Amino acid sequence: MGNMKWLVAVSASLLLSACASDPKVSYGDATAVETVTTDFGSTDLQVIASALVDDLLAFPPVQEMTAGERPVVVVDRIVNKTTEHIDTESVTDTITTKLLKSGKFRFVDMKAVEALKKQMNFQLGSGLVDPAKAASFGKQTGAELMLYGNLASIVKRANDTKDVYYKFTLKLINLESGLLEWQGEKEIRKSGEKSFFSF
Amino acid sequence: MRLRQFYFLLFVLLLSACAVNETARVDAIDGEKEKEILESDSGFLAASLKIIDTKTTKAGDLLRIQATLKNASRQTISFQYKVKWLDQDGFAVALGGRPWTPAVITPQEQLNVQAVAPNASVTSFTIQVQD
Repeated sequence: MGNMKWLVAVSASLLLSACASDPKVSYGDATAVETVTTDFGSTDLQVIASALVDDLLAFPPVQEMTAGERPVVVVDRIVNKTTEHIDTESVTDTITTKLLKSGKFRFVDMKAVEALKKQMNFQLGSGLVDPAKAASFGKQTGAELMLYGNLASIVKRANDTKDVYYKFTLKLINLESGLLEWQGEKEIRKSGEKSFFSF
Repeated sequence: MRLRQFYFLLFVLLLSACAVNETARVDAIDGEKEKEILESDSGFLAASLKIIDTKTTKAGDLLRIQATLKNASRQTISFQYKVKWLDQDGFAVALGGRPWTPAVITPQEQLNVQAVAPNASVTSFTIQVQD
């Protein structure tokens, strides 16, 4: 009987310790579905970027446009019309990365203009750089197309339930003609219920 | 005999204590003749999800795919899928480029999974599903 008690105690401690060896810090899959809250999260960002890039690359007029050349695109800001603080630049960065890596588009980075000017002034004005090897002014390429858009949301609450609807709209406009060459939308719906134990 | 049963129960409990989500894999290979392979180590998803059709075409020089998954079970399935791209040598292209995407299929319903390859080097694809 004494042995049995001892066995049960050892077994119980084994059961308790079975998963207790998890480290306090761990790495996870950055592309895993994240459902911590109904707020805009990493899965929303990744799903929106993938869906819109797929839609843009599969659009026949865009295929024609990119068949023989790589049009130059500038990314304007995404207007955040939601009540949340969302880093929309992160969404456009992911979209830009995917489009650049597709080999279909080239981009000009307006955020790098000041740094570029500084570097050009150094090359041409410091006297330290061989003028024959210095980059010269007036040879940069202007963008032909501009990407811009907005993120909107509708949030509803009833008792312990929260429903969030996001709509991300992205547009590609021809800077010279002013024609909208493509427009894509991605909608996401998330619902959450307050847990009995949550505060 | 009681002790053996106890140890067996303990073993089962220990195994289930750290169980991870199982993953099923659906392969579709582009080429002269398409073929579909269902590889699975997940009893539930493998038995419930069936590929009933795959289509591939080109968006310019980019591979565009569609796989139609059907819920053959009698219950609604919530799962996640992810498209993995491979080049002609079988190397994964744009690792981590696509997220796990949540999806729900009601009984006997079909879901079209569509995607465009990240670049022109992609020749085949894999759709991974997990619960």
